[in-house]
Amino acid sequence: MLKRRKRVWKLLGCLLVLAVFVLVTAGCGEKGVKEPEGGTSTYTIADPTGDWGFPSPYAHYARGPGYVRMSFIFDTLVWKDAGGYIPALAVSWEYLKDEDAYLFRLRKDVTWHDGQKFTAGDVAFTVNYTKKHPYQWVDTGVVKGVEALDEYTVKMYMEKPYAPFLELVGGTLPVLPEHIWKDVQEPRQFQQKEALTGPGPYKLVDYNKEQGTYLYEANEQYYQGTPGIKQLKFIKVGGEVSAAALRQKQAGVAQIPPEMARELEKEGFKCLESSHDWVAKMVINHQKAPLDSQEFRQALAYAVDRQALVDTCLRGYGLAGSPGLLPPDNAWYNPRLDGQYSYDPGKSAELLAGLGYVKKNSYFEKDGRTLELELLVSGSGSTTQGAPGEREGEFIKGQLEQAGIKINLRSLEAKTLDNRVLENKFDLALSGHGGLGGDPENLNKAIIAKGFNSARYEQSEELNNLLKQQLAEMDQEKRRELVSRVQELYAREMPTLPLYYPNWYYAHNGQVNLFFTMQGIASGVPLPFNKMAFVR
Amino acid sequence: MHVNSWREIKQEGLGRTGIVFIILVVAMGILAPLLTSYQPSGYAGPVFSPPSPRHWLGTNDVGQDIWTHLLYGARTSLAVGCGVGLLSTMLSIVAGGTAALCGGLYDRILMRLVDALIIIPPVIVVILAAAYLRPNTMLLVVLLSALLWPGGARVVRAQTLSLQEKMSVSAARTFGASRRHLLFRHIVPDLGPVLVAIAIQDIRRAVFMEAGLSFLGVSDPSLISWGKMMQQALQFIYLDAWKWWLLPTGLSLAVTVSGFTFVGFALETSLNPRLRREVKHAAS
Repeated sequence: MLKRRKRVWKLLGCLLVLAVFVLVTAGCGEKGVKEPEGGTSTYTIADPTGDWGFPSPYAHYARGPGYVRMSFIFDTLVWKDAGGYIPALAVSWEYLKDEDAYLFRLRKDVTWHDGQKFTAGDVAFTVNYTKKHPYQWVDTGVVKGVEALDEYTVKMYMEKPYAPFLELVGGTLPVLPEHIWKDVQEPRQFQQKEALTGPGPYKLVDYNKEQGTYLYEANEQYYQGTPGIKQLKFIKVGGEVSAAALRQKQAGVAQIPPEMARELEKEGFKCLESSHDWVAKMVINHQKAPLDSQEFRQALAYAVDRQALVDTCLRGYGLAGSPGLLPPDNAWYNPRLDGQYSYDPGKSAELLAGLGYVKKNSYFEKDGRTLELELLVSGSGSTTQGAPGEREGEFIKGQLEQAGIKINLRSLEAKTLDNRVLENKFDLALSGHGGLGGDPENLNKAIIAKGFNSARYEQSEELNNLLKQQLAEMDQEKRRELVSRVQELYAREMPTLPLYYPNWYYAHNGQVNLFFTMQGIASGVPLPFNKMAFVR
Repeated sequence: MHVNSWREIKQEGLGRTGIVFIILVVAMGILAPLLTSYQPSGYAGPVFSPPSPRHWLGTNDVGQDIWTHLLYGARTSLAVGCGVGLLSTMLSIVAGGTAALCGGLYDRILMRLVDALIIIPPVIVVILAAAYLRPNTMLLVVLLSALLWPGGARVVRAQTLSLQEKMSVSAARTFGASRRHLLFRHIVPDLGPVLVAIAIQDIRRAVFMEAGLSFLGVSDPSLISWGKMMQQALQFIYLDAWKWWLLPTGLSLAVTVSGFTFVGFALETSLNPRLRREVKHAAS
């Protein structure tokens, strides 16, 4: 009996030791980000999503926040700040009209993180490498040839005139070190430490995919000056608790719900309001009757009160959609579109009557069939502030039904909705995308490209031609006129109905003088995390 | 099995509380149009108004009256709960009763099916189904019933097996009564209290699952549901609105689920002789 009791005690003792061991190791795991020793000033950026991929040029997710995380490590030939283009790896650049080429003069004092010297060879290598292994954000197919004139001068010849060349090839394409990437055959799979050797102001110390955290340390040898912030962290913080994270000093900057902006400002935080680069749209399946009729789509546009939608569903924190897609505060906005398609149910009914619809009881009918459409909305899960969901769906349903169009609202998971749109298995859907603030090339992406964020509208030859022409027009003023015309045609054809542009607010503690980049970071990322804010 | 369920529930303190809770929620649902002057889909006032005589529980993020939503939300919860309770109990009777009466291969196959179904988590199946079908109240009732009946079927089968040994059933069988006649005329009436307990259990689970699924966004978007109200309220947790938006909704759901749990508990005590107070008293 005594022996048995002893054995029980022994067993209990072993269990206790095991439990202590498990607790201690679990505690280590929870710590997440490893703290480098000796850091002085640390800055934390809160993000509601967290993981945006391994921050190498080929492995980061093809979204703005992924690019920004990569941009702290890699540099481009030119860069932008709040006022426009500034030198980066290139000291100066020049467009040679006769040769249809760009000439870049490079800095001579740049070294990669591993101490090797940066030269024109690296730039030429990057262009050729990205032709073979396309980089997700820039098509280097527009470069016919690249030539290193000497160690610090590069000339790039264009296939044909290409207006967004400087913004994309010059200001978005990260330059890769030849000595590291020359033997890499599978760039997406290349996720070793060397893959993060750039010339940029920061080096990555730790990346935790599960917890969505990134930790960077300053590159003391950075050629534009030593970064003021020695440690930079990205952590995952949900949108609804971001204000609390700021107050508790867990984050230095975070996107905040609009209602909190004034309150946080009173508490001493600085608030930034972004320009309206994200658009919420009602996507219309223009391949399918009756939505294939231009007049029908126009009738839909007249039936939705976009200002009331902003006032009700966004509580006023947004701008009503412009029928030409670009928001009124965009540099390329066409003011001739002011007031077009303002709410007019009478006009909508007139257009529907013109198409042979007759209103019986509450709804329009044609050939004995009630006019009925399905509207897809995303149920929940979007971390984008102001992204349309069930609330907006209910509101639009109410308005379209008032106009005599019966709407069946259907809530789907966000990715399922994107797939439905891509496969054209829908009537109407609420969706949205960013990037409006960048080069007007984004109009081509939003109208004729192939992704689910694009209207994929090719029915109008005039619009197609204009989109191609504006890309090839090197004269800024002439291009502006073409872009204005594109917006007018977009409003006439109405392939999708732009509903609104939500206001985005960021609050920060003032430790870093954050700013919004002109036309967005690189090719239009509307985030206030420009690396130059951390260097100066 | 001749137990008067109603008397048993009334005698139990918990049972009485449960009945009061259920009556309260049912009254909220039925009298909804009389208790509020707003329409649930109407935009009634300025957004995020605090509670006032005009809006008893204030307004939500789009200016809809929260009290109105709470009342109409009770309808959804009860409709789904009662629908599932009724349908899944009927399925349980048919499956459990016929398995006991027919026996043999049919019984074995059906019981293995029950074993298989009982381990499938209903919520995941409904989420999957919602991706392909258009979720509405009817579909939700059918889907949840199709996944909740196996538990009841097992109980019904066990009770039927013991009931069919009764003299009255044997006598009826001797006189040539069909299986259907035996099941519905002799066995089901005696199963009464057990069926009430099964139905209440199913209602409780269905109310909770409906709220959970709406919370996850798997429901008809135009349906007003407590689960969805909580999901929407949580998005504005940083404002004061949660006090009159999230709390009353959570409380209503808790009261409903507690009501059915208490009644179910009281019934269980009355049905299981070992849990009876008198027996405990006699034993001590």
